[in-house]
Order: sequence, then C-alpha cells, then structure tokens
Amino acid sequence: MPFSTFFFFTLRVFLVGPLLWAWAWEYPSARAEGERLIITGSSTMAPLVSEIGKRFETLHPKVRVDVQTGGSSRGIADTVNGLADIGMASRALKSQEQHLNGSVIAHDGITIILHTSNPVQELTDDQIRSIYTGSSTNWSHVGGPDSGITVVNKAEGRSTLELFLDYFHLSNRDIHAHVVIGDNEQGIKTVAGNPNAIGYVSIGTAQYDAAHGIGIRLLALQHIPATLETVREGRFPLSRPLTLVTKSPPAGLVKTFIDFAQSPQVHDLILQQYFVPLQG
Amino acid sequence: MVTIPFIWIMGDLLWNGWDQLSFSFVFSAPQNAGREGGIGPILISTLLIVGVCMGTAVPMGLGTALFLSEYTRHDHVLGRLIRGSLDVLAGVPSIVFGLFGNALFCQILGLGFSILSGGLTLACMVLPILIRTVEESFHAISQEQRLSAAALGLSKTTTIRRILLPAALPGLLVGIILGLGRAVAETAALIFTSGYVARMPESLMDSGRSLAVHIYDLAMNVAGGNPHAYATALVLVGLVFIINVSSSWIASRWTSCNRLSA
Repeated sequence: MPFSTFFFFTLRVFLVGPLLWAWAWEYPSARAEGERLIITGSSTMAPLVSEIGKRFETLHPKVRVDVQTGGSSRGIADTVNGLADIGMASRALKSQEQHLNGSVIAHDGITIILHTSNPVQELTDDQIRSIYTGSSTNWSHVGGPDSGITVVNKAEGRSTLELFLDYFHLSNRDIHAHVVIGDNEQGIKTVAGNPNAIGYVSIGTAQYDAAHGIGIRLLALQHIPATLETVREGRFPLSRPLTLVTKSPPAGLVKTFIDFAQSPQVHDLILQQYFVPLQG
Repeated sequence: MVTIPFIWIMGDLLWNGWDQLSFSFVFSAPQNAGREGGIGPILISTLLIVGVCMGTAVPMGLGTALFLSEYTRHDHVLGRLIRGSLDVLAGVPSIVFGLFGNALFCQILGLGFSILSGGLTLACMVLPILIRTVEESFHAISQEQRLSAAALGLSKTTTIRRILLPAALPGLLVGIILGLGRAVAETAALIFTSGYVARMPESLMDSGRSLAVHIYDLAMNVAGGNPHAYATALVLVGLVFIINVSSSWIASRWTSCNRLSA
C-alpha cells in the first residue's frame, strides 16, 4: 500500500530522525574525563553566571557549566540536597544557613520605582511602609495627586521580596498588594504601564531601562540616590550581595570556578549584566 | 472578529522582530545573556525536545487509543478509568507537569536537567490530548467496516493495519498537530526539566533551553532583551507554521494516495 509506506516513511523522518541524529552526534563528542558543574538558584543571577560559565568553559575546555534557575531558596535547597554543586542566592546567607559557605561575586541594589508622570520626588521609609501596609492608599497622603496607589509586590520566594521586607521590617502578610510580579523586567513593565503604581526592582535593571526611555523613575532612599555607584560604595541602604553557595568549603573544580567568578577577569561580564563588581 | 487578535499579534511580532531576524540570528549562539548573538543552540534543543516528546507520545498514544477503542468495550471499568484519568490530566496546568517531571525524571530516575527529561515530561503532557483525539477518530469509523473485514476473514492485526489505521490517520495528524503546538510553546513544564542552559546540546543528556523558555527569560529577566525576544517569538511562530503546513500537506498527500490505491 503506497499510502501507508509513505506515511510511515514520513513518520520516521519527522520523529525518529532527530533522535538517531542526536545519538549519532553524541558519539564522537563523548567526553570520558569531562567534568560537569551544576549551578542552580536565583533567576537574577542566572544570566550573569551563565556568561561567567561560558567564559570558564573556554578556559577549561573539558568542563561543562550547567546553570539552572528557580529562585534563591531553590538554589540553597538544591545545594543542601546535593542536587547542585553550587547554589546561587541573590542575598546574604541567613543565620540558619551559616553552616553553608557563601562567596560574594557582585552586588546588586533594590530601588523603589514610580511612573515618570508621578510628581512625587521622594518618599521616606515610613511613607513607603505605610503604602505597602495599606495605611496610605492615595497618592495625596504622601504629597502627590489625588489618585489611588497601585502597590506592586514581588512573589513569595523571590530574594528581592525578602530583602525588601527585611529592610522595612515587614512580613509578607502585612503587605496589601494589588499586583504580584516575578522577575525584574515584569515589575518594570507593570509600573511603566500604570501612572499610579509603585514597585521595587533591581537597581541595575531599572537604571538601564530608565536610561533607555522606559517610563519609570528611581527614588532615592534616605536621601541617597539609587545608582550603581552608591551601591558599589556601600552607601545605598537597600542593597544585596550576589552569593555563590556551597555545602562544604570550596575545593577542586568548584573552588577554581568560584575564584574565577570573583576575579577581575569577569568584571566586564558583571557590568554587562548591570550589577556592581566587587572592587573598582 | 476572530482574526483581529491574530493580525494584531502577527503585526506586533513582525513590526518589532523582523529587523532582528537574519540567517546568522537563527543559526549562531547567543551572546551576553541573549541580548546579542542568535538562537542556534536553542532552536536545536527545541527540535530535540519536541522530537523526544513526539517519538514517545505518538507510539504510546496510538497504542492506548487502539486499546481503548478496539480491545475494550465502551462501558468497561478499565476503559472508563483510563478515560477519566486522561480527562483530568488534560486539564492539569503545565507547571504541575513540570514539577512532576522534575521529581520523576530528573531526580528519581536520575536523568538530571536534560533534553530527555524535558521531552518525556512534555510527552506526559501531550498524551491525553493525543489519545482522546485518536480514539475519537477510531470511534468515527463505522462498525460495518470492522464487520466486513471480519467477514472476509481478516485477522484483527490486518484489520487494524489495513483498515482502521489508514481511516484514523487524519485524526492522528490532528492530534499530533495539537500536541506539537502545546509542546513547542511550553515554558513552565520545561524550565524545571530540560533547563536553562543555552549551549549547543552534545547529547540528549545535556540540558537545553527551549525557544519558549528563551523568550520568557529575555522578556522577563534580562534588561534590554526585548528585541531578541520578539525575533525569537517570530522564529517560534514560523516553526509552528511550518509544522502545521507540512502536516496538512502530508495529510492531503496521504488522502490522495489513499484514493488512488482504493
């Protein structure tokens, strides 16, 4: 029967072909002594660590660095379970995590953002707290126009949220949010699209987007402007370290990688991703 | 009315993505977290993931559908149990499949973050749609055809191969297209199974980022990633378009062959 021959031939080409091809491909490049580093965690750090890993691979051709995302909490959990060699946490280690080893590779700041059309120029910590706890629901309460405030909050498990709550001495249950967002860019798009919104995101991302014509404005905190410079100088109050976490003190390949990630050789990559390198 | 969203989406994608699109974009590796460079390795990973998914789902789906329609009575307990669980599975959100795949394939079966885990997770996700579509097309075949085949003394295997399978093929193709569409557009089920690595995959055991995960990352996590997110979305839409057109071409080609030989 010509039609069934034709059909099963097409089926083979379309479905089985790629599989065979993949196996054939695997064969010549099989790495007998190749080593693999698995790194999981913070979605903020994932693009940066991927780029660092790529450069590391060019220096160590037999090593493969696999970076996976999912959030800082997951990075810590995977490291503790042994699923990952290195965890990524975009915050400092907590007191109950002190048995783990953290190595800071860069810094990041969190900034409060408003829509550009919002006339409010500065908010005190107390005002921000009252907005996020729902005591101030109108911009006129904090010196703005008479319109309702849209509170944009981060989703549970995001280290930006944890850092924000920690700084303002709040718990997530106190917060009356209208919008809950995940990643930085999502937060920026939400605030840029709503003149009455207030949100908080990574300074590096916000500075880049504000400089490229996205309609958001970065607010100073305690009169310190939110810029990469103030974060690097350690003056900006709401900043966080980007940390690589290991279960035991780094040794062997893991240590080589962490040393590389802390070295000036990757400063250009850190700057490219709008974070702040360790020194200079 | 229905075409407005389609035109809007396509117009938006073409308007923002067309300038970025080039031969080198489709085939080169991403640079600077995807802001520069292309999507070559990601495209290959996507094809491999979908290949694994369909290579697993189609034989299993076809087998289950045959079992349900030809080897069990419609009101049989086992059949009803399978159908019921398939209907529930078809409605489960993809993130649940992602977590399930992460637990089963990546951890318990030790496949790790790999194209294989991702493809198998997608296969679990696509199976319910595939089975129900194919089963429906088996049911649509009139009982007379089966009886005539039996009257001619054809064995059950021959009946299935020569009569039922050809007649149900359009249904199978529809199921494959629906499944492929769902698989190729998947983000949530893949980010925890096939992973985030944008390197050219060297085997099915390598982690590989899919096009949809790449678009999500560029649009939501990488500052300045929007232009390439649009271009990648354009490639993804193009891929789905090619798959649909080639499937219907195969279907029409097949039907005409069918008529000639009959």
